[in-house]
Amino acid sequence: MTNITQNDLETVLQFGPPGFARVVLRGCLNARSAADSWKKLEDGLRAVKLEKLEVDASKLQLCDGSGLSLLRYLGMGLMTPDAAVSVNGLDPDLEQIYRAFTLKDYNALRPLSRVKCHSIPHDVGRGVRQAARDWRQQIEFLGNVARNLLPTLWSRRQTRWPEIGRIFEQAGADAVPIVSLVSILVGLVIAFESVQTLANFGAQIYVVNMIGIIMVRELGPLLAAVLLAGRSGSAFAAELGTMKVNQELDALETFGLDPIRFLVIQRIVAAIFLTPLLTFYSTFLGILGGVLVAFALGFSRSLVYHQLTASLHLSDIFLGLAKAVAFGAIVSAVGCLRGLQTEEGPSAVGVSTTRAVVSSIVLIVIADAVFAVLFYYLKK
Amino acid sequence: MSDPADIVISVRNLAVGYGGNAVLHNINFEVQGGEVFVILGGSGSGKSTLLKNLIGLCTPIEGQIWIEGINLATAEGEERRDLLRKFGIAYQSGALFGSMTVLENVRLPMDELTAMPEPLKELTALSILKLVGLGASAQKMPAELSGGMQKRAAIARAMALSPRILFLDEPSAGLDPVTAADLDLLIKEVARRFGMTFVVVSHDLASIYTIADRVIMLDSHTKTIAVEGRPADLRDTATDPHVRRFFRREPDADASSLHL
Repeated sequence: MTNITQNDLETVLQFGPPGFARVVLRGCLNARSAADSWKKLEDGLRAVKLEKLEVDASKLQLCDGSGLSLLRYLGMGLMTPDAAVSVNGLDPDLEQIYRAFTLKDYNALRPLSRVKCHSIPHDVGRGVRQAARDWRQQIEFLGNVARNLLPTLWSRRQTRWPEIGRIFEQAGADAVPIVSLVSILVGLVIAFESVQTLANFGAQIYVVNMIGIIMVRELGPLLAAVLLAGRSGSAFAAELGTMKVNQELDALETFGLDPIRFLVIQRIVAAIFLTPLLTFYSTFLGILGGVLVAFALGFSRSLVYHQLTASLHLSDIFLGLAKAVAFGAIVSAVGCLRGLQTEEGPSAVGVSTTRAVVSSIVLIVIADAVFAVLFYYLKK
Repeated sequence: MSDPADIVISVRNLAVGYGGNAVLHNINFEVQGGEVFVILGGSGSGKSTLLKNLIGLCTPIEGQIWIEGINLATAEGEERRDLLRKFGIAYQSGALFGSMTVLENVRLPMDELTAMPEPLKELTALSILKLVGLGASAQKMPAELSGGMQKRAAIARAMALSPRILFLDEPSAGLDPVTAADLDLLIKEVARRFGMTFVVVSHDLASIYTIADRVIMLDSHTKTIAVEGRPADLRDTATDPHVRRFFRREPDADASSLHL
């Protein structure tokens, strides 16, 4: 059986008395040869009107699943709708398999061409219901976290400090290289771009004031939070999502352990502590980038120092750090929530991760705007 | 059966493992065309690792795997693709594509790798699904199927191109006895009627007695093949205590997991 080359199939089409035809298949009928044979048969049989078609399979040396399908297709009369078809000479073992699938089965199992009609009211309704459910879950989650945060932290037994340390390292310390690179480059580029405009007024030295204010009040917290969302918010969602898919969350609940207390609080606490640190670091490096531009323009060290200290107030730094705490809480909470919301299915974890990052960034920007308004009125 | 032309897989002096650490070494066996060959072993004995090497997912540390006279490790390009097309593989978890219906899963290899006309592909896929008892579930998504159904769907997908060799990783794990027995029957019938060769990784004794023509048993202590032969013979004649215990399903008295 192994000696037959794969494509050795001879398809012979004989036409006898009017209305009668005979197909002789000889050799090896498999996926490849069946495709060729099909073409030949369709060309030969479509044009003629037949009353009787005979298929001789007795000379087949090998016939696999695809080959059987070709015989079935012929046998069911799908290629020659008006003719009575008989398939003869099939190996008894194969004959039994051949008989096990009939035209009736084919018609019953065939997929109906699915007509997908989108109705706008239906889609809108579903969208609204989904959004409402999402809001409900968010509020529920927020309440749950708020209720559990302090009691969990209070009780030494329930807070898993080693776990918080691990998250702190993964989300914080391990992020230092990328935060360094991004912050210093952003500082450099902003300073470099704005110096060219400031030069029109002969006010290049103010690039230092500008970069100081921008980094401390806005970009430092924002950069740290966005990087945290991309690196760790997504990781939280993926971790919790995988745990949900693997039924680990179910296991926790049957132990009587609340996933919020056991998994979520640790992550939020770690993020709340580490984001200000990361922000401080990011701010420092961003300013460094701007200062490098100032040095390159030939300003002295003492002048740059003077400009920086004159433009920045302690309240600015506190504002930046307050933002950082809020952003950290948002990123970690959203990451965990999306992880817990993970549904069934293979792409579910991927969907949760994407949603975590997107919602985090949107919420960070909204929160940033809220802070800006808030501080404007507080300063008044 | 002793005709050398009929040998489908020949494994010579194979050592497999991860990162240079051998999980198994000195593995030699041959699989003949049309037989159901079972790789047997306890948990952690390296069954699945051996399978991964046999299907070319991992490279062996040492030794060769010959598939119908072609060395799996050195085959490249077109030759390797042709070689891999002789394989049908049903993974332990099913590994069905979750975004496609069962029918689309089974059709996928035909859609991508053959020039078969549309109705022929549909007919083939539906008839295979009916053969494995999933005709009525053709339009369902994999997530809607039970574990046993997913396994059968995976086997249907692996069979779609009528491969020369069908590799099954733990086909009966996690199935109820009736479903498992149905599956055994299916394997036996497909092997006999289509002349397909099966390489089955398993530790399900009940199913081995039904399906296996020949068995090798891997031993996690010596890290190599402990015995080779027909399952019923091994049960009756094995002298090695590990093997005897395994085939008779007796607990290991020396290394009992209960330290009372």
